[in-house]
Amino acid sequence: MIELLRVPSLLTVQDSGREGYRKLGVPVSGYMDDYSARIANYLVGNPGNSPLLEFLLAGPTLRFNASSVFATAGDVDVRLNEVPIEPWESHWAKRGDVLEVGTLRSGLYGYIAFAGGIKRERLLGSCSAYPRANLGRPLKAGDTLSPGYAVLTGREGRHLPGELRPDYSDNRREIKVVLGPNLEHFTGEGVETFLSETYTVTPESDRMGYRLDGPAIGHSSLGADIVTEPLVPGAVQVPADGRPIVMMRDAQTTGGYAKVATVISADLHLLAQSRPGTGVRFRAVTVEEALEILRGREKTLGAIEAFLEGEMRAYKVKAGEKEFTAFAGKVKY
Amino acid sequence: MRPEIKPAGDSALLISFGEAIDGEVNARVHSIARAIEKAGFEWLVEVVPAYSSLLVIYDPLKVTCAGVEASIGPLLDTKGETSGGRLVEIPVVYGSSYGPDIGFVAGHSGLTVDDVIEIHSRPVYLVYFLGFLPGFAYLGGMDKRIATPRLEKPRLKVPAGSVGIAGKQTGVYPLESPGGWRLIGRTPLRLFNPTKEPPTLLRPGDRVKFVPIDEGEFRELYAEEWGEGVD
Repeated sequence: MIELLRVPSLLTVQDSGREGYRKLGVPVSGYMDDYSARIANYLVGNPGNSPLLEFLLAGPTLRFNASSVFATAGDVDVRLNEVPIEPWESHWAKRGDVLEVGTLRSGLYGYIAFAGGIKRERLLGSCSAYPRANLGRPLKAGDTLSPGYAVLTGREGRHLPGELRPDYSDNRREIKVVLGPNLEHFTGEGVETFLSETYTVTPESDRMGYRLDGPAIGHSSLGADIVTEPLVPGAVQVPADGRPIVMMRDAQTTGGYAKVATVISADLHLLAQSRPGTGVRFRAVTVEEALEILRGREKTLGAIEAFLEGEMRAYKVKAGEKEFTAFAGKVKY
Repeated sequence: MRPEIKPAGDSALLISFGEAIDGEVNARVHSIARAIEKAGFEWLVEVVPAYSSLLVIYDPLKVTCAGVEASIGPLLDTKGETSGGRLVEIPVVYGSSYGPDIGFVAGHSGLTVDDVIEIHSRPVYLVYFLGFLPGFAYLGGMDKRIATPRLEKPRLKVPAGSVGIAGKQTGVYPLESPGGWRLIGRTPLRLFNPTKEPPTLLRPGDRVKFVPIDEGEFRELYAEEWGEGVD
């Protein structure tokens, strides 16, 4: 059992989300940064979609009342019994050990995974918290968590090399989108503005949506409102004021504002990890290009999993001035 | 009429029959949604219907966008079936603290409070689709005579079960949430219960009839439904 001693910010249990209930108005939810969350799970030998802890900016302090293996994902100071340990590495905790996770130096969401996942009531097929509808609730000090059953041997000491960790330290980033589906509601100039200007993530951003500030995106004579239609996380809605709102994991399932574009699946985590003030530029790609990028990302994640499982080896390769990591061995994905 | 098919990102296709809010178009949307669900495509994640459009969400690692379009093409000719929905009676206590804006609605429409109750509870409403919040039903068929603009400043907290009017729409808040609709009453029924399967009282295609009840009946039904007294 794990006891939460201190919870400084929004702390929830999340998994890959709740599919199959959107037609009843239930959002998909799930981890905001699927990339980091999956690696956190791989570090402790879990399937990528296992339930884990997601924290916003500042991590919790917790005590292990039984042995466990855990790993933290995020650019953050971590202490076990006041001794600094590495994030992006799996560690053994024994009964009585206290884990303190500090404040993220970059990015917005961090993760703590436990071998065997977290035993939690599945509501509508998922452990992901969506407090607004009483599907789970934010965790608070005094709450206890039960890690799922797992043989712990061999799950500690897994380490993700620095060059394989996602880097969210830039305060400018490029987010790729597929244009549409309501392009006819925008002027050509409006679409051009959206693709050429820099937009800033505002503090009015949460798990439901990220509001961006920047030059107004012009609507055509059809205007900003559409007859309410279904939407997915990543959809970029533009209300009458011309400022885009990007739907995130807890987004409502339908919306009545015209959508200029949809963020590609592989890039949504980049936006999720953008702090208020981060500058965002959008670049249009085709659906086919988006799919290629997603496949490439799956390949990388598959290789990282195999590497952490000891099924592949990582090599540093130098090509010209650049150093990068190559994998050798059998890949399963 | 053939719908328009457009990508909505890299993992969904939007199938749209234009901007109609029309029972027949909506029936066709639901029939197509059911046909796609029934076909058992292994790449299908979910189908989400709305008024005159549906979203087909797929796993892009299992199929391409063109593959989805080819597979669902023949199903887009599916005819709309209007029957199949249930008639759900929703008891409502109108007015007083349960519907604090009913006087405003009456005044705005030049009617008495009793007229508003009569006009609101007379029609059989169609559930076009669920969206906005879990279990929130977009209903069609409200009498234009009681159409009322939204509050200028939304309330921070609207109790679950509140029945409201916004413009030409009416609906029930399934959960406690902020909201700008004019509240005219409240139902003791639970519209969203995550421990039930299905978790929502209403489903697309259902028909809804509001039935006026008094405060005593409300308290009784509330305790039965929620297992506790009303706050």
